[in-house]
Amino acid sequence: MLTDATLTFVALGAIFAYSFYAVLVAGQLSLGQAGFASLAAFTAASLTPRPSEVGEIPALLIAIVIGMVVGSAAAVVLGLPTMHLRGVFLAIATLAFAEAVRILILNQEWTGGAQGMSVPKVLTPGIAWAVLAVVAYWFARMGRSRYGRALEAIREDELAARAMGIDVGRHRLAAFTTAGAVAGLYGVLWAYYVRLIAPEDFGFTAAIDGLVTAVVGGSTMFVGPLLGSGFQTLIPEIQRALGVEAGWIRPFVASALLLIIILFLPGGLASLVRRRIRMPKRRMGTPEQGLQTRSHPAPGELLASLEGLSKEYGGVHAVENVDLELRSGEVVGLIGPNGAGKTTLVNMLSGLIPPTSGLATVLGTQVGRVPVHRVAKAGVSRTFQHSKLFNRLSALENVLVGGHLVSRPTFLRRLLWLPSARRDELAALDHAARCLERVGLYDLAGSRASSLSYGDQRRLEIARALASDPTLLILDEPAAGMNHVEANRLSDLISSLAADGLTILLIEHNVGMVLSTCDRIVVLNFGKVIATGTPDEIAADATVIEAYLGSAEAGTRPTDRTEGSHP
Amino acid sequence: MQQLLNGVFIGSIYALFAIGFTLVFGILDRLNLTHPAVFAVSAFVGIELVADAGLTVWVALPIVLFLGAVLGLVIERVAFRPLKNRPDAHFAGLISSIALAGMFIALLQWRYGPDTRRFPAGSFPETPIEFGGVAVTVLQVAILFISVVLMIGLTWLVARSRLGRGMRAIAENPTAAKVLGINVDRVTSVTFAISSALGGVAGALFAMNVNSAQLGMGAAIELKGLAVIIVGGMGSLPGALIGGLALGLAEVFAVQYIGSSWRDLIAFGLLFLILLVRPQGLFGARKVREV
Repeated sequence: MLTDATLTFVALGAIFAYSFYAVLVAGQLSLGQAGFASLAAFTAASLTPRPSEVGEIPALLIAIVIGMVVGSAAAVVLGLPTMHLRGVFLAIATLAFAEAVRILILNQEWTGGAQGMSVPKVLTPGIAWAVLAVVAYWFARMGRSRYGRALEAIREDELAARAMGIDVGRHRLAAFTTAGAVAGLYGVLWAYYVRLIAPEDFGFTAAIDGLVTAVVGGSTMFVGPLLGSGFQTLIPEIQRALGVEAGWIRPFVASALLLIIILFLPGGLASLVRRRIRMPKRRMGTPEQGLQTRSHPAPGELLASLEGLSKEYGGVHAVENVDLELRSGEVVGLIGPNGAGKTTLVNMLSGLIPPTSGLATVLGTQVGRVPVHRVAKAGVSRTFQHSKLFNRLSALENVLVGGHLVSRPTFLRRLLWLPSARRDELAALDHAARCLERVGLYDLAGSRASSLSYGDQRRLEIARALASDPTLLILDEPAAGMNHVEANRLSDLISSLAADGLTILLIEHNVGMVLSTCDRIVVLNFGKVIATGTPDEIAADATVIEAYLGSAEAGTRPTDRTEGSHP
Repeated sequence: MQQLLNGVFIGSIYALFAIGFTLVFGILDRLNLTHPAVFAVSAFVGIELVADAGLTVWVALPIVLFLGAVLGLVIERVAFRPLKNRPDAHFAGLISSIALAGMFIALLQWRYGPDTRRFPAGSFPETPIEFGGVAVTVLQVAILFISVVLMIGLTWLVARSRLGRGMRAIAENPTAAKVLGINVDRVTSVTFAISSALGGVAGALFAMNVNSAQLGMGAAIELKGLAVIIVGGMGSLPGALIGGLALGLAEVFAVQYIGSSWRDLIAFGLLFLILLVRPQGLFGARKVREV
């Protein structure tokens, strides 16, 4: 059953599946890999000197280099215009590319057209598995690096990843380019094994096979593609060994098994392998090394200024002509009835949506004109009104992603097992553990974010936001879903953060909590600031009281869509 | 002129196929890759009904429509409903529908073998009709007529009927639809049934048009269907109609003027261009993502 051919095809299938894994990890669905492999295979096969002239191994190495360069270059060329596409749209665009490549190659003379091109057979099972080991190693070391975590964060929630300071566009393109290189590698190995390559080898069916292999194996763990390829290649072999006749039964059984796996093993075959969860030691007090720390501006210095800021949605003014200044070290409360425009305002402050008019300068950046991750880099961090955690990651991993901006890239150094990478990872872990400890979630560090209670999810968001060591922390209804005791504890936490020098903007419906926590309160109604002042002044303000009681009358307020509706 | 009409005939079949594709995507946000298998199954069954059971094509077509609907119910129940609440339902649905398509095609091979099947001679009227210097057959006119009637019927259904209201509500927001008392599971099933019924008829008509059916015929039209729904706009019914016709015409003229080997490049070139310039398609409305 395990002939040389079978072994080689398992390795080849796994390498091809890794090219899908490379993008699935970042939540991208691409079918263009067949096209990359095709371009790489034909280019490498026609440019590489014959093995009889330079020897077999050098020829293969030259071909691999050519193939990987061609594959990744094609990925960049295809990726630049298509990276803004999501989900199925990206899949179809890349599929169109692969088909176009197939037709192009079919109609070229130098590729031999439909007859194909003959290539010397150089690849042995040993070489195939050695190459597979290198590829698998690459992805294994990627998993626990800063880069790997950033990709996973993008997969789980792209917007939250942006808000954590991750340059999503660059990361997606990097993942796509990796996929191109690995697909190119596959194309070359395939060519140097099967003797005759034809454009049909890299058609639609091949693309679907690669995707299926990667998904069956599981796209959240590096062993996935290997398991998937083993499964996909061995199922027909096992059936043959068992004496199942060729024809319809073999594909039927293979498809049925595929269906069963996808329905009953959500994480693919890799979910049968237990995922180790790292738990950092509880080491409090010692300042970590290897993390950058931000120096906050001196208390009282101007941090953010909004001038005439407005946001309009189809004629509805969600926020209208708001002027506001935030000074370093302040705890500012932002309150107002539902639909007052609070969330729209902080979405503009954190750069998620551009203002319709007006100017907002936060920590030296013109928000709305620069990408979200730049605003985060300047020192703005936030939580979201509706939890936007990275659901399938552990609480600890969520916070590690939050620390993206203050930790150093570790992937390349991890590939080389440099001790400094290990030190940096440990420092990041320590830092994350400290943030979890601060919100009282240390004991739940290993739990999946989605399995936490609502109140714990709110606190985890705060820990994640804290991890980027922000200067301005925006909390959007952090106490929602918390009971009285928890809300009090949260209030204490906010005060202690302020004592550390952070500036905090707190949006909250729990007015009692805002009054007791904040230095200054801004009241918003119908998108306009109707009052600002100290808690005492606000509590006594007649307009504020009327706004709150008056909002119960129906028909006078703008639609609820303005609250919490975003790009 | 002759080419124009040929393009319209083949285009109307593309449109009918694509409209089933886009219906499920537009309403349920799922890409159902078993759709091409339904297309192939219906073609083979249609041929069997005519060749072996001795029915006329006009009786066979409603049976194929019904068969498609039943397959649609099976697809929804087996490949999509179990995944409903999974965070990766998008990916998983693609793969499970591919798996189910594999099973359908394997069963097809079991029943009919791997060879090409044809309608027996004289199954349908081949009488040419002269039409302003252009020759068309009754069959071609019938294909166009059936496709257009089905598509108009579907558009009416979605726009006017109670069921269509339920579909549109689910497209907007499944949770809200449920709260409003719409039986989401049932509307979902019916949507799949209608989608597959159209795909089935498209398969039978296609087999009549080229008088043959192969196991791989679904895969060939799958890519075109995807191109059509992207060009027309994901989820847009009129978009699928116009996209299908446009593709049919473009192909016929490409064969005429550029050469048949480049025919398939037209669809993908067009598709790629649209995705770059106008990702929501010609008639699609861009969905706004909620934070």
